Amino acid sequence: MDIQSYIASGKLELFLLGELNEREREEVLALSKQYPEIQQELNELEEAMFALDELTGTKPSPKVKDKIFASLESEFKKEETVKPTAAPIEAKVVKLSPWKPFAVAASLVAIIASAVAVFYANKFYERDQQFTALMQEQSVMADNLNQVKLDYEQKDTQLEKIIAGAFKRVEMKGEGFDMQKDAKVDVFWDQNAQEVFVAVNNLNSLSEEYDYQLWAIGDDGPIGIGLVNAGEKLTLQQMEAVAQAGAFAITIEPKGGSESPTLEKLVVLGEVA
Amino acid sequence: MEEEQLIAGLRAKDRKTTEYLYEKYSRALFAVISRIVHDSDIAEEVFHDSFVKIIKKIDRYEESKGRLYTWMANICRNSAIDKLRSKEISQSGKTNTIDDFVYGLESKSGTVEQTDAIGVRELMDQLNEDQRFIIEYIYFKGYTHSEVSEEFEIPLGTVKSRVRASLQVLKKNLDRI
Repeated sequence: MDIQSYIASGKLELFLLGELNEREREEVLALSKQYPEIQQELNELEEAMFALDELTGTKPSPKVKDKIFASLESEFKKEETVKPTAAPIEAKVVKLSPWKPFAVAASLVAIIASAVAVFYANKFYERDQQFTALMQEQSVMADNLNQVKLDYEQKDTQLEKIIAGAFKRVEMKGEGFDMQKDAKVDVFWDQNAQEVFVAVNNLNSLSEEYDYQLWAIGDDGPIGIGLVNAGEKLTLQQMEAVAQAGAFAITIEPKGGSESPTLEKLVVLGEVA
Repeated sequence: MEEEQLIAGLRAKDRKTTEYLYEKYSRALFAVISRIVHDSDIAEEVFHDSFVKIIKKIDRYEESKGRLYTWMANICRNSAIDKLRSKEISQSGKTNTIDDFVYGLESKSGTVEQTDAIGVRELMDQLNEDQRFIIEYIYFKGYTHSEVSEEFEIPLGTVKSRVRASLQVLKKNLDRI
């Protein structure tokens, strides 16, 4: 075989670069054993490649070396840790105190159980608080609903009365008086049922010490039949029963109302038609 | 230390022998990797993995199948090629050329390790255009000779003989530097 042309083929370089397949590799190895020239060429090429690598290379940083030897630590240690002489003594200790593993296990179980208990206790407390908050919210809503229901029933009853009854509307105005020229309040009066409602259309608000008081003026003079809330506009406010009246009037009286009207503070007056 | 002694020490998982191996070969093996993997952090990562692999798999090395350095260099080269072809690097889209590599050496020299960047450049300048091309692809870009043949439509035999010619030129000129 022509050794020089085999060497010149470039196969040896590819062998060194690890690029030959198994069969070709075997061939190079077999021939290198058979022909010293091939073996020598291989050696020279490898030297050259190493020299080239060495020349073109820089050392990796020292921290890489540390990391590598840290990674290999367990590899090196293998030998040293096979030898320890303390092992038999350790075994005896284990035999003498067989409760130890159980104690350790029991402690572990206790610790885990405690942790779990604390965890669920916290969860429970959290949920309990949320539940209480929800209950409170629910009770407030129930109260509100009750109030709305009462209001509704009241209004419904009033509406029924107004529609069903024989109510007379008496307009009371402030035009003729000095107190509030634009004041306007309506009285609804069912003479047969003796029921009276007022509906405020326009009435100034009063300071804390005073109230508006409604008077029914009949044959026996003015009778106080209730206090009017100026703030509740255009809603029906039920007053005391009146059987007989020629006119209705409102005066400003000290808080809580008076026995007889303070005529200087007459706000509105309306005559029954 | 003779190679036989070295291999025996490595097989016995001896720390001192491993340190000797590191001191003697880390520079060359790291060069094999860093001319393929440009990013120095990734190159060091590949080197770490390769060297650990060499020590752990030393039992798989057979003297009858080649010299120790060739075996180690092939492990490093293959790891570097694997890394290069993994997404991690190909995304950066960087291709290594001899000029990049020499430029890298020049920018590093004087800092960590003195490298003869001028020497490497002179050495590479000895190659003709075809040889430079082959070395660039096989040595620096991690191509196999059959990949070069297919991709650039150069007959396999021509690729082989150019690899040989290039290494011969480098081999001759190494002595002069």
